[in-house]
Formats: sequence, C-alpha cells, structure tokens
Amino acid sequence: MPILLILSILIPLLAALALFLTPRLDYRTARQVALGAVLASLALSLVLAVAFDADHPGPQFALVEPPTGAADNPGWGTAAETVYGMRWIDTGRGPGIRFATGLDGISLALFVLTAVLMVPSVFASWESVTKHASAHYALMLLLMTGLLGLFAALDVVLFYIFFEFTLIPLFFLIGLYGGPERRRASVLFFLYTLAGSLLTLVGVIALVVIHYQYTDVLTFSIPHLTEGLRHLPWSRWTYEATTAWTSPQALIFLLLFAGFAIKVPLFPFHTWLPLAHVEAPTAGSILLAGVLLKVGGYGFLRFNLGMTPYGAAHFMPLLATLAVIGIIYGALTALAQTDVKRLVAYSSVSHMGFVVLGMFALNDVGLDGATIQMINHGLTTGALFTCVGVLYERYHTREMDRMGGLWKRLPLLAFFLILASLGSAAVPGLNGFVGEFPILLGQFARDPFYAIIASIGMILGAWYLLLMLRRVLFGPLVEPHAHGESRAHGAHPVRPIGWHEIAGLAPLMVLIVAIGVYPKPIFDRIGPPLRAISAGFPTIDELPGSPQLTQRQTPARAPRLAARPTSQDRPR
Amino acid sequence: MTPASLLVAQAATAQVPIDWLLIGRQTLRVLLPEILIVLAATAIMTAGAFVRRPRRTWAGLSVLTLLAALGLLLLMPGGGPDPYASVVAHDALALATRIGLLLAGLIVLALAHDQVDDDRAPEFFGCLLFIHAGAMLVGTSNELVLLFLGLELVSIPTYFLLYLPRRTATTQEAATKYFFLSIFSSALLLFGLAYLYGLTGLSNLKALAYLIHWNRESLTLPQPLFATIALVFIMAGLAFRAAAVPFHFYAPDVYQGSPTVLAALLAWVPKVVGFVAMLRVLTAVFGTEALTASNLTTVSNKAVQLTWIVAAATLILGNTVALAQDNLKRLLAYSSIAHAGYLLIGITAAFRNAAGGSESVLGADSVVFYLATYALMTLGAFGVILLLDSRERPVETIDDLAGLLWARPWAAVALALCVFSLAGIPPLAGFWGKLRIFQAALEAGRGHDTAAFQALVVIGVLSAAIGAYYYLRIIVVMTLREPVDPPLGRAGWPTVLAVTACAVLSLFFGVYPAPLTRASRAAGEAVVNLPDPITTDAGTPPPTMAARPAPAVR
Repeated sequence: MPILLILSILIPLLAALALFLTPRLDYRTARQVALGAVLASLALSLVLAVAFDADHPGPQFALVEPPTGAADNPGWGTAAETVYGMRWIDTGRGPGIRFATGLDGISLALFVLTAVLMVPSVFASWESVTKHASAHYALMLLLMTGLLGLFAALDVVLFYIFFEFTLIPLFFLIGLYGGPERRRASVLFFLYTLAGSLLTLVGVIALVVIHYQYTDVLTFSIPHLTEGLRHLPWSRWTYEATTAWTSPQALIFLLLFAGFAIKVPLFPFHTWLPLAHVEAPTAGSILLAGVLLKVGGYGFLRFNLGMTPYGAAHFMPLLATLAVIGIIYGALTALAQTDVKRLVAYSSVSHMGFVVLGMFALNDVGLDGATIQMINHGLTTGALFTCVGVLYERYHTREMDRMGGLWKRLPLLAFFLILASLGSAAVPGLNGFVGEFPILLGQFARDPFYAIIASIGMILGAWYLLLMLRRVLFGPLVEPHAHGESRAHGAHPVRPIGWHEIAGLAPLMVLIVAIGVYPKPIFDRIGPPLRAISAGFPTIDELPGSPQLTQRQTPARAPRLAARPTSQDRPR
Repeated sequence: MTPASLLVAQAATAQVPIDWLLIGRQTLRVLLPEILIVLAATAIMTAGAFVRRPRRTWAGLSVLTLLAALGLLLLMPGGGPDPYASVVAHDALALATRIGLLLAGLIVLALAHDQVDDDRAPEFFGCLLFIHAGAMLVGTSNELVLLFLGLELVSIPTYFLLYLPRRTATTQEAATKYFFLSIFSSALLLFGLAYLYGLTGLSNLKALAYLIHWNRESLTLPQPLFATIALVFIMAGLAFRAAAVPFHFYAPDVYQGSPTVLAALLAWVPKVVGFVAMLRVLTAVFGTEALTASNLTTVSNKAVQLTWIVAAATLILGNTVALAQDNLKRLLAYSSIAHAGYLLIGITAAFRNAAGGSESVLGADSVVFYLATYALMTLGAFGVILLLDSRERPVETIDDLAGLLWARPWAAVALALCVFSLAGIPPLAGFWGKLRIFQAALEAGRGHDTAAFQALVVIGVLSAAIGAYYYLRIIVVMTLREPVDPPLGRAGWPTVLAVTACAVLSLFFGVYPAPLTRASRAAGEAVVNLPDPITTDAGTPPPTMAARPAPAVR
C-alpha cells in the first residue's frame, strides 16, 4: 500500500517529464497521455480510499522504519516511536528530514479530491488547448504532483517543498496560457503567495527548533511534532514579558498563518485571487479554486490548529471576524459582477470564509463542517469553473449581459450549471448544506454573533448564484457572437456539449448529490484525525494564562460545550 | 614569529617537546595543492612571455593544474599537523573550501576559455590560478599572517585581471575603483588582525581561540575593548570582500564595468574568501553561548549586534535596490549583495555556537552549505549570459533575454533553474541553503536574544520575498515575451558544459542535498572544534587560570 501511494504521486510526475521532453508532440497524443496518467493516479487513489481504515486516527499507507537503537541515532532515544518514511537528509541528530508520505482521514479526502478534479481539468483543456499543448499538460501534471505530495507529506520540510513547488507550474500555466492580463496575474499570484509561504517556512522551522530545544529530539515528522509540541508547557514558557501577544505560540501562529491565510484566501489577503482566477485558463482555475485554496485550509488544520492551538484560541475572535467579513464582502462583490468567472471567483472568497469560520469555532462540529466544506467547495467550484469554461470556449465572452436563455441552446450544460450552483448555494440535499450547516452550528456554540452574520452570507450566496442562473440560462435567447464576421453566416454555430465535457462534469455532479444525501463515509474518515486535533483544545479553556479566552468564555457556557456529545450534531 | 604552541605549552604545566621538522614536513604536505598551483601559474606567466600559443593551450594547462591539485587534495592522507603548532589547519572546513574552490574553479575556467585574446591568455589564466591558490590558502590557514597572505594573493591578481582584457574607460574605472577600495579594506583588516594579535600575543588561530575560550572569565577589562576593536575592523575588512553593506558600493559599478566572466569571478571568489575568513578569524574565536555571562559573552554579544545590523542592512538594501535594475550584471551584483546578507545571518548565528553545543545546524555549517549552492546558481546565471552574449547581439539588459524560452529553450531552462534557485524556490539547491541558514539562526536564538534572531530571520524571509520579484522578472521576460532579432550568440562546448553542470547540480542538490549537508556539517563542527593540546602528562588540567567551564547548560 505505501508503494501505491508513492506511485500515485510519481505517475503524474513521470508523465509530466515525458511530456516536457517531447515539446513538439501533437495535442491529441499529449492529451491522451495526460488523461491516462490522471486516470491511473485516480484509480490508485480510489484503491487507497477503499482500503483506508476509518477508525485509525494516525497516518496510514506510510513506510515505517523498524525502530532503531539509540546507538546509531544519538538524540533519538525513544525507540518506541514510529519512524515514517525513507532516509533522505541526515541531520546528525534524530531521524532527520525524511521522505515520509502517508494519509490520514483529512489528507485522504483532499488527496482524492485532487485526483478527481484533475479529470475535468484535463477535459476542459481537451479542445481549447492546441498550441504548446504538451507543455500545458505537463504543467498540469506537475501541479497535480505537487498537490498530491503536499497532502500526503508526513514531514514538514517535504510538505513545504511541495507547498512551494505548486507555485511554479501554476505560474507558468497562468502566464503562458492565460487571458490578456496573464503576465500581471501570474506575477501577482506568485509573489503574493511566495511572500506568505516564506513566513510560513519560518514558522515551521521555529516549531521544529522549539521542539528540539525543549525535548532534545530533532524531528521533522508532522505526527511527532504535533504530539511533542502538545506536551510542552507553552503557557508557562514565555519571554520576559508575559503577555499573550508576545507568547511564542502567538508569534508562531501568526507566522504560519501568513502563508495559509493568503492561500485560503482570508479577507484582507484575497486581492490576488480574482485576477488570477479570471486570467487563468479553465484548467488552472479549476485546480486553483478546487484544490489550491484547500491547501490553506489544510495548513490551518495541520499546523495552526494542530501545533499551535493556544495561538489559535488567542486569535480566534480576530480570525472569526475576518472570516465573517470575507463571507459578506465576497458575496456582495460577487453580486456586483457581470463577468461570470469573476462572480465564481468572488464566491470562492465567500465560501472559503465559511471554512475558516468553521475551523476557528474550535470545536468538533465546526472542524467537521469546515473539512467537508473544503471538499464540497472544491467540487462545486470546480464544476462552476468547468461550466464557465465551456461557455467561454463557445462564445469567447464571459459577460452575463451578452448572453441569456442558453437553456434552449445547451440544455445539458444548463442542467450541470444549475446543479452546481444549487450545491454551492447550500440547498439542503446537496453537498453545500452538509458543510455549511455544521459550520454555523459549531460557530453558534462558540459565539452566536459570528454565526448569525455568516448566515446572512448564505442568503446572499443563494441570491448571486440564482441571479447568475437567471441571466445566463433563462429569459429570451441571447447569443453573443464571438467574431463580427461570423454574423454573415447567420446564426452562430454552437457546438453541442461534447462527450469529454460530459465526462468531466458528470463525476462532479454525482459527488455533489451523493455527498448531499449520504455524507457519512466522509465524516467517518475525517472524524478520528479531527478528534485528535481538537483534543488539544479543551485544556485551553482551563488555562490561567489566557485572559482573553476566559473573558469571552462565560462560565455558564463552558461546561455545556464540553459536555455536548458531538456525534448528534452532525447531520446524517 | 613566536611559535604559537610554545606559548600554549608554557601556559600549561607540562612542557611538550615539539618536533618542528615533522610539523614543517606535514605543513608542506598539506599545502602541496596550493604550491602546485602557484608553481604552475608562475610557469604559465613566464612561458607566456616567450612562447606564443593559442589561448586554448593555456586554458587546458590551467585545467590540468586544477585537476592535479584536486587529485592531490583527494589523495592526501588524513591527520595533519598539530593545529596548535602549524600555520595550516587540515580540517573539514579546509577540505570543503578547497574542493569547492577547485570545482568552481573548473567551472570558471570553462566559462573563461574564450573570453580573452590569445596574446593576453597566459597572464589571464595565470592570474586565475593565483586567485584560486590564494582562496585555497585562506580556507586552510590557521594563522593570521598566512590568512592575510591568502587574501592578498586573491586581491592582487584580481587587479591585474581587471586591467587586462579591454582597455576601455569603463573597465579602467572599474579596476581603479576596485583597486583603491580593496587596498583600503586590506588596511582595515590588517589593523584588526593586529589588535587580535595584541589581545593574546598569539597568531595561531586555534591557539588564540583556545586561550580566549578557556580564559573567558578572567579576560581583564581592557581586553574586551581590544577584542571589540579587532572585531569591528576585521569585520569591516572582510565585509568589503563579501560585498556587505556599507562596503558594497563598488560591486554594481565594478560588475557592470568588467567583462562578464570577471563579474562572475568577483561574485564568487571574494565572497567565499570573505566568509571563510570570517569563520576562521571571528566566529571560531569569539563565538560562545548566550547563556553564560563572561567577558567573552560581552564580546560575542557585540559581535551578534554588529553582524545583525550589517546583515539586516545588507538584506534590505541588496534586495530593494535590485528591484530598480535593468542591467543584468548590475542586477546580479545587487543579488550577490543580497546573498551576502543571507550568509551574514549564518555568521550571526555562528557567533552563538561553541564547541559542545547541541545545535543541529551550526551557523558555520549553514554558511558553508550556502556558499556551495551560491557558487552553483551564481556561476550558472553568469554562465548563461556568457553563453548568449556576442559582439553582434550583446546581452546587457533583462530585455535582451526576451523570448529566450522560444529561441533557445535549453538555455532558458538552465537560467530558470539557476534563477529559481537564487530565489530559494524548492526543489532547488538554493532552497536548502536558505532553510539551513534560517534553521541555524533560530536554533542559535536562545535566552535573551531569541527575539533578535527571530526578527532577523523574519527580515530575511521578507527580503527574500521582495527579492523573488526581480528574479521573477527575468523569468517573465524570457518566457512570456516574444523573441527579438538578431538571434542570440552561441558559445563553445566548455561554456555549455559548465552551465549544464551548474543547472543540473542545482536541481540535483535540491532533490538530494545529503552529500552537501554531510560535508558542511563536518566543516561547521571543525570550526568550533577546539581539541585539547597534546600534553605529556595526561592528568594535567588545560592551561586555564579559571577552572574549565562545564558543558553548556540549556
């Protein structure tokens, strides 16, 4: 099984290298190679998903090295600890930086999501990319490698390498294959995310160093760090000044936060997103919105919540505020758009705000909702961007004023677009509801104020999505003409939905409905690792050293929260 | 010159009979590669006056010399002379520096093979060999005088080189500028070295470090002041070579004014020389933990403050001013200033390392590692410029690279690998360099200066983010723009080979840096390592006036 996991990451990489080395390849061959690699990788990831043991909270499918004695590994005395992965870089002390991969429930979900979303990405480029197609598919597969590796990494340095590595293929995807403003968009995207992720790097190294200085074990393993850092006396370990703002966890939390908040993107850090989304080619948009934004959420879960829970508790009011502002702001801006792609881009800001809001509810329900909402948002936004791509390919415009009544022309596309929009608008029975409801529930338990405002965002979400549907699909048929000359030929010839477009969208539609109806398999798998993360939270409430939190937490409410059985909160 | 070990031995109760003949033999054996190179360089320069040969003969001879020196170095048996008695140190740092310099020297020679006229070739290649011999001497020196000798053996042939190739006004301006500033910085350095000597009366660096470390409590009051003066002046002298603020002014003008291959040389050799000398003279002598209060800690606190300020200023200035550059060589000059800033973070951390510390990445370790990756990416970037530059189509500004990806895809890939590596993007070698520097700095920060080190690292990453912009500009111009006529030039196979080596190794060490980390780790430990001097009587305590301090308590 570990071999399957590594293979599913390696296959796209090898295919990408093969495509890079044959730049003159015909686009038909190139797309088939890409599709083959994606399907092979997807098949392996589905095998892993089936073989996954849902009750086990730790990482699975990891190579495990038999515990070695302390003799040849000074500073690594606790032989009972599992050492994951393969030797990569020895640090002289401890197990070193290792090539360790493995999946727990959270990463499994996002891992499979990545593989699934690659299918519509390839199909979206099926006809539209004909120039330099080989490099285009190679970049996509490289991006896939980075994303799969990132979710599977069990080593902080390996995680960071994949995290940063995703920038390069996406930069070229936007810069070489994007819209008219692609240069500005790609540079802005690259620099913005790089600046944040470099700060994240400092945060990650700081965690490793602190762990080493206080436990004398130098480890870069994510599970070990999470476990080890939890046992450190953070509340007592401060500088000379004992204020919560300068406590080490708060500082490290902010460093980690910088990179992930830009990826998510949280409200004031979102400015790169609309431009990048609009200028990116369809495949880039699908992966950017569908998976890359989830990297931020995943980082929050793994690092900010898993490793610096004190910082998370301290900054919770601030973050919840930002998330709520993002929800409302994103929704209002989406409402004002006339460009469909821009509308979907801003809806991402709004929906990712929900994810952050759920996470920083700091309770089981909120975490559950936030994690499944990441999957849902990936599916629905991926589907929406695919539909927009289909429209753009046919009409070469995304202006809603110039199109209308397309229901009559492209009925199948209309069906897909409606289903994806409803899923995105969190209509009960579809997947969006399964995510947003527990998020609001969890945040209501933490602080009803934020939950109430956020639910206004849900209403706005339904509004702009339905408005979009009405303008594009219903009413009298208005078809934009891509080129002035084509008017001479009478009606603009519109290609009906092709098989590849159906093949790209259908799996997403199935998943949107399936998760909406029966989300239990996913909840079961993401549950145990999320419980392990939230196990770090309850002690926060009892901390004497965090006045902000104890003020906010009225004494009457705290025991009720702790006593609430979590399983009943989940909608089944 | 007073034999250093004699003083150490006198301070100890036991007198060790010293076999000077043996030590002399061992010293000469250690210096064999340098002697060979100097002899070959002399022969080439002398023969050049009488024999007329095409430049490829001289280039070939130089390559053979470096290869022979490399062979000698690799075959050299371990176990050099007693470090407290000899002027050379035969340790891991010396080995790493010399091997690195020889390999990079081969790359420089390959880049230089067609950059000089036939009639000046012997002097040109002779000077290149002298520079490398000098740099290797710095790496292996264990003695203030030998160190200074090595530094001058780098500087003086550099003046010749800058005057040699083309007699234009800009070249002369560049050469003159470099000459005067270099002389000035050498004077500063010598002044600092004199104070260091005055502090202890020793010129053997290991012995100096040993005395200072074991007498850290009892250094009397005027001596910390001496130490501070020595620190400031040595730092100033070496900062010129490293192109660190405020001694960076010459770099952009000189790089722009001199031929590209010399700019590549100036961006690499003086930098490695400056930083290795800092490790040998400053951090190994004054480095100590922050948590023990002693006179030495006072000095090392000052050292940390000084390098902190210099590093932060260099980082910010190098990276921000580079944003405004259009000329490629000026941009790479500011980039090399910025990289001096990252290296100075490592030096700052190295002032907090001492023997027996528990750091997993030492400051010196990270500096050595960074220098190795820096050689690859900087020489590679300059190499691509050399590769494309021609009389008909000079490559001067960033815009000259427009559409390189479509015109010359492999050159573009090589340049992209080097530039992304300079920007520190994984999975390339430059990323590991930055990672180790930052890790070393965060580990060094404990006790009262934790926040200072954290702040320095944050300044480092923020300026790296700023720096990414100008590196990205190169990438954007060469990939997202259309190529322009006339077509770019082509170079001979040695240049292509050198550039390929740089690019491939940047990628290789990015994916598998373990060989470099092992070497740099050993080098870093060699810097802080202070072995006990050989005594006849095993029971004798070390030559301290106070008791030997217990191992550092964290």
